[in-house]
Amino acid sequence: MIRANAEELIRKSIARFVDREIIPRAQEIDNKKEFPIEILKQIAEMGVFGIRYPKEKGGAGGNTTLYCIICEELARGLMSVAAITAMQCLMGTNFLFHFGTDQMRQTYFYPAMRGEKFSCFCLTEPEAGSDLGAVSTSAKKTEDGYMVNGLKTWVTNGPIADFFTVLCQTNPAKKFRGLNFFFIPRDTPGVSVSQPFETLGTVTTKMSEVAFSNVHIPEDYRLGQEGQGLDNLMTILAEIRSMTAALAIGLQRAALADSIRYAQEREAFGRPIGKYQLIQAKVANMATQLEASRLMTYRATRMIDQGIPCMTEASMAKYFATEAACTAADECTRIFGAYGYSMEYNAQRYYRDSRFLLNGGGTHEILQTNIARWAGL
Amino acid sequence: MDIIVLVKQVPNTTDVKLDEKTGSLIREGLESILNPDDRHALEAAVQLKEATKGHVTVVSMGPPQAIEVLTEAIGMGVDQGILLSDTAFAGADTWATSSTLGKAIQQIGKFDLIICGRQAIDGDTAQIGPQVADYLHVPQVTYVAEIDNIDEKSVIVKRRLEDGYEMVESELPALLTVISEINKPRYPDVGKMIAACHEDASIKTWNAADIGVTVHEVGLAGSLTHVIKTYVPKFKRQGEIIEGDTKAVVRELIQKLGRSEGSTACKAVAAACRLEAS
Ligand SMILES: Cc1cc2nc3c(=O)[nH]c(=O)nc-3n(C[C@H](O)[C@H](O)[C@H](O)COP(=O)(O)OP(=O)(O)OC[C@H]3O[C@@H](n4cnc5c(N)ncnc54)[C@H](O)[C@@H]3O)c2cc1C
Ligand SMILES: Cc1cc2nc3c(=O)[nH]c(=O)nc-3n(C[C@H](O)[C@H](O)[C@H](O)COP(=O)(O)OP(=O)(O)OC[C@H]3O[C@@H](n4cnc5c(N)ncnc54)[C@H](O)[C@@H]3O)c2cc1C
Repeated sequence: MIRANAEELIRKSIARFVDREIIPRAQEIDNKKEFPIEILKQIAEMGVFGIRYPKEKGGAGGNTTLYCIICEELARGLMSVAAITAMQCLMGTNFLFHFGTDQMRQTYFYPAMRGEKFSCFCLTEPEAGSDLGAVSTSAKKTEDGYMVNGLKTWVTNGPIADFFTVLCQTNPAKKFRGLNFFFIPRDTPGVSVSQPFETLGTVTTKMSEVAFSNVHIPEDYRLGQEGQGLDNLMTILAEIRSMTAALAIGLQRAALADSIRYAQEREAFGRPIGKYQLIQAKVANMATQLEASRLMTYRATRMIDQGIPCMTEASMAKYFATEAACTAADECTRIFGAYGYSMEYNAQRYYRDSRFLLNGGGTHEILQTNIARWAGL
Repeated sequence: MDIIVLVKQVPNTTDVKLDEKTGSLIREGLESILNPDDRHALEAAVQLKEATKGHVTVVSMGPPQAIEVLTEAIGMGVDQGILLSDTAFAGADTWATSSTLGKAIQQIGKFDLIICGRQAIDGDTAQIGPQVADYLHVPQVTYVAEIDNIDEKSVIVKRRLEDGYEMVESELPALLTVISEINKPRYPDVGKMIAACHEDASIKTWNAADIGVTVHEVGLAGSLTHVIKTYVPKFKRQGEIIEGDTKAVVRELIQKLGRSEGSTACKAVAAACRLEAS
């Protein structure tokens, strides 16, 4: 039986979309700094938001590798579009999908798959970033549910989200064992969202603070068993890290392609600058790091797809690919000379957007600390 | 309404390069894509399906990797695909291609409408649609820019001419070849493509025996034409268009002709121009 290869086909199909619909307009979208709703609607129409979920449950029947391939291709076009898509496919909807009631899925999950509702993921607080044990947003048991109070920050999609997955502390005495995820629709009384932050990169992805003041939610809005919040987070952490690595690969590819094109066109001292060995060295390093990033990232995604634990592999991939993306963006701005500093070219955007990748899924200091520990130190 | 769409997988270039020795297309390094016009044919079919609760079958003759374009077609909303693949089909000329496609359509059975792209970007002949219509003895309308109206018995379409359009009515079953202005094709649904990659139900593969032909009737053996030589024409002389104010143009032309070696004809033109200018 002859069959097409799903990975090649999906990559080609999304790449075609990115080349035609995103790349020609990327600068314009970025300049406007507006939430790119039109592009996201098109992405929803292709069924992308359901890529990780089974077909019989409203998804597209893909897996982590396909999810990461899509994230990579979108990031090659515009990081903010890729970031919002990545959020909608994974962190924003995962716990609702697994632990929500049928009614919650009907009202929020399926519309999210169709791009009619947007999601987000609230872990970070002003006093709790890397250290999730310090999360202080509280969910106090009431007679018929929970009362939530606290402040979340750096909430990607916060300004536009229709519902929130929020990490709360139900019992401070239990520390990590008191952490639980809760589902909170935006229109619940007591929820308020700040103005979007002014940010360096991914300027069309909106981030904000989200405040919860005496927010009353029913019992079944707790996503997962009591005390399992951190364990549940661990079930998707390797996937979050692999996805971030895939976004970094997309950015590396964009920076490399622009660098090569420019190095062939731009002449100095009577020759294209690509003829100079110092420029060649930059391109060679970018290409090599890109190749290594690919091998590390898709090794991790295949392990996830086979159910093999791979926190080490995924963490290394995220750390390596993101550093490589930051380097590639930096080198790209150098190859472009003064034009790397101009807002007219993409190079500056790659440079700004590369910083987006550093924090999500764990800072590199945290990742390095973990990797060293796993290495035996 | 039963609709059949014919699609071809082509190399992703309009700048087809030929191997001077073998005369065949150089495909190395070129990615394969769904022929651009055929994407519009698929969109037209899927729109009709949605409007009439119809059923769409997509057919392609090609090597095994042409399964890709059929899977893409499924992603766009087509119900089933048929890949005509057999080493016996290789080397077909347009006649052998059309008659093989025609046989396959007869094998499928009932249809109301066949939709093709106008032209493939590699072979570039625009012959397949018309020849398939002829093989099946159904009316054809080429260069369709809009399907204006369709019912069980007939279709009215807007057809592109060199300097305008004409409205044409045809009885069904019929064959249409469409041009890109007919619609904006949707992007394929990832879930439908993934499903088609993992199950056998949606795309079948047929070989020569499956469509009831002998190997002598198809492919190179069944071709009525044979390419003796293929070559890229060499442009020794290139035309040049001089634009601007008439007098300035004439002056420049005279100068250019004067500078060239000058055949008798050139000299005559130069003289005529001089007369005109004065
Ligand atoms: C663009 C963007 C989008 C984001 N989106 C979201 C979101 O949607 N949801 C969400 O919940 N959060 C989000 N965040 C927040 C992100 O998860 C945090 O920034 C991250 O967890 C780090 O927390 P912090 O910024 O408070 O840094 P801190 O934890 O305060 O760290 C500050 C510095 O100290 C280092 N450091 C901390 N602890 C150690 C240690 N033990 N050893 C060595 N060094 C250490 C860090 O690596 C860092 O360099 C986003 C952040 C950004 C920039
Ligand atoms: C290297 C090379 C050698 C060739 N040798 C010969 C030869 O010896 N003699 C000769 O006459 N021709 C030859 N051909 C042409 C070849 O037969 C044609 O490519 C083929 O028949 C299709 O014609 P076309 O590409 O012009 O398609 P067109 O007629 O331009 O295509 C129009 C439409 O027909 C449909 N269609 C076309 N091909 C297919 C297909 N395979 N399956 C399903 N639908 C299809 C599509 O809807 C398409 O949009 C050769 C071509 C090449 C590239």
